[in-house]
Amino acid sequence: MPYRALIATGALAAALTLPLAAAQAFDESKYPDWSGAWRRIAVPGVTGQPGYDQTKRLGRAQQAPLTAAATAIMEASIADQAKGGQGNYPTYTCLSPGMPRIMTPYGMMEMLITPDTTHVLLEHVHDSRRIYTDGRDWPTNVAPTLQGYSIGKWLDTDGDGRYDTLEVETRNMRGPRAFDASGMPLHSDNKTIVKERIHLDPSNPNVMLNEITTIDSSLTRPWTVTKRYGRDPKEELVWTEENCAEGNGHVEIRGQGYFLSAEGDLMPSRKGQEPPDLRYFSDAPK
Amino acid sequence: MHRWISIAAYVSALTITVASAHAFDASVYPDLKGQWTRATAQDSFDPTKPPGRGQQAPLTPEYQAIFEANLREREAGVPPTWPGRTCLPPGMPATMTAYQPMEIIVLPRITYVRIDYIRETRRRIFTDGRAWPKEVEPGFDGYSIGKWIDEDGDGKFDVLEAETRSFSGPRAFDLSGIPLHEDNETVIKERIYLDKADKNLLHNEMTVTDNALTRPWTVKKSYRRSAQARPEWPEYLCIEHTETMRIGNETYRLNKEGYLMPAKKGQKPPSVQYFPVAER
Repeated sequence: MPYRALIATGALAAALTLPLAAAQAFDESKYPDWSGAWRRIAVPGVTGQPGYDQTKRLGRAQQAPLTAAATAIMEASIADQAKGGQGNYPTYTCLSPGMPRIMTPYGMMEMLITPDTTHVLLEHVHDSRRIYTDGRDWPTNVAPTLQGYSIGKWLDTDGDGRYDTLEVETRNMRGPRAFDASGMPLHSDNKTIVKERIHLDPSNPNVMLNEITTIDSSLTRPWTVTKRYGRDPKEELVWTEENCAEGNGHVEIRGQGYFLSAEGDLMPSRKGQEPPDLRYFSDAPK
Repeated sequence: MHRWISIAAYVSALTITVASAHAFDASVYPDLKGQWTRATAQDSFDPTKPPGRGQQAPLTPEYQAIFEANLREREAGVPPTWPGRTCLPPGMPATMTAYQPMEIIVLPRITYVRIDYIRETRRRIFTDGRAWPKEVEPGFDGYSIGKWIDEDGDGKFDVLEAETRSFSGPRAFDLSGIPLHEDNETVIKERIYLDKADKNLLHNEMTVTDNALTRPWTVKKSYRRSAQARPEWPEYLCIEHTETMRIGNETYRLNKEGYLMPAKKGQKPPSVQYFPVAER
């Protein structure tokens, strides 16, 4: 267990009560250098779509501590996907994966550290986050979101007078969410709690580690994985823009997934699939 | 007349290393923190004029004809949508109409603009003195280079001038369907500053140069700062809000039960030629 020393409790308490104007006197040198673009580090030999635990393939190979009910949902999802369906994979319609899956991450990630908030900008479906570090308590009347509501705390674990670790807790999520594209589910009660410890690798400042623990009613015990992100070494970064709708060849009509052809026409996504019910069109095919 | 905060200071600012850039003096920048929402209910591109034809957009005849066709679609019952596939983002300059709350994050080398509307916009306005790069990925939000200006010479920046290029499309000025040119060679210039008399009011003077226009089109947008110290940031996922679906070249409605419906009188259903069951 690493030693965690908060930078002088008094200083922290004072920081939390700073007025808006004074809060602008932000000493960036107290915070770690997380600038640049971060990407998931691929693990050699682990192929296919990324799994939630990036050291293992997605789906069954994850060996997630799922309850029997959650295992049944995942198995049904895998079986449906084998037939061409989408299974329990809500993201295919451009719904954000939500927490904790967004921290896989799938695209480029940027961390903006400000005194009150650390912004996690994720270029994927709709995944960016705000982690509040201004000492606030959990709000009582906030609409749940797929990313949830995140409160963080900066720690100086080695006592050198600089923060090095961001501890985060995220609650107040909604669904549907899955851990990965296999459809490994989070529970529909959405009582998920996600705890993160984000810090640079002490032996390599261009590697970031995120130890994520998920507590969820779909799990028999808290599930902890460590994600590793690498900093893009390019001096002139080329930020790409991802628009899910632009490249998405899927549409969903009354809960059924269909493909769109290159010309934009509806196509079945699985063998024997019937066309959608077009009852509101007077000259629909019968 | 724009006065720079001493040329020497500016030159040194451009040459600072990443490490020393950490000594960021935020007090020389305007306080743009908080949540900003559009100051008027009007969500057309020019908030001072009525929507649609009332905008008096200086369109070329070719693009006026496209606009008129879009208006006819809306008059026939097709809900207002952004051009192209369902849930494509508006892109610049419509992004800055702020259809959802906006956050501006001023950092030493980049000013970020976050707006969660269809696309989770995170405009990066680079203020580190860079030139236009040779390699840029075109995007709906474009590539923005900005410059902080101390207009009144009080030693503090008060205006952010930004220029944005390198777009992808299709884009429109607003939901009435005023088009931008499909060549995407748009250039947008902005002057963003706080109102001198009201620090909770932000202005953005935007000038759009585009081949769909006969001349540059300038409008002034304004935003009001939320009085809440810790505002809620709503999540806007287009797929959960849209009442339309684009199939082929047609826009259809989705009713509350999720059935596909015609959006206009006499609209034919989408082709189901790829479904073997339908062919029997």
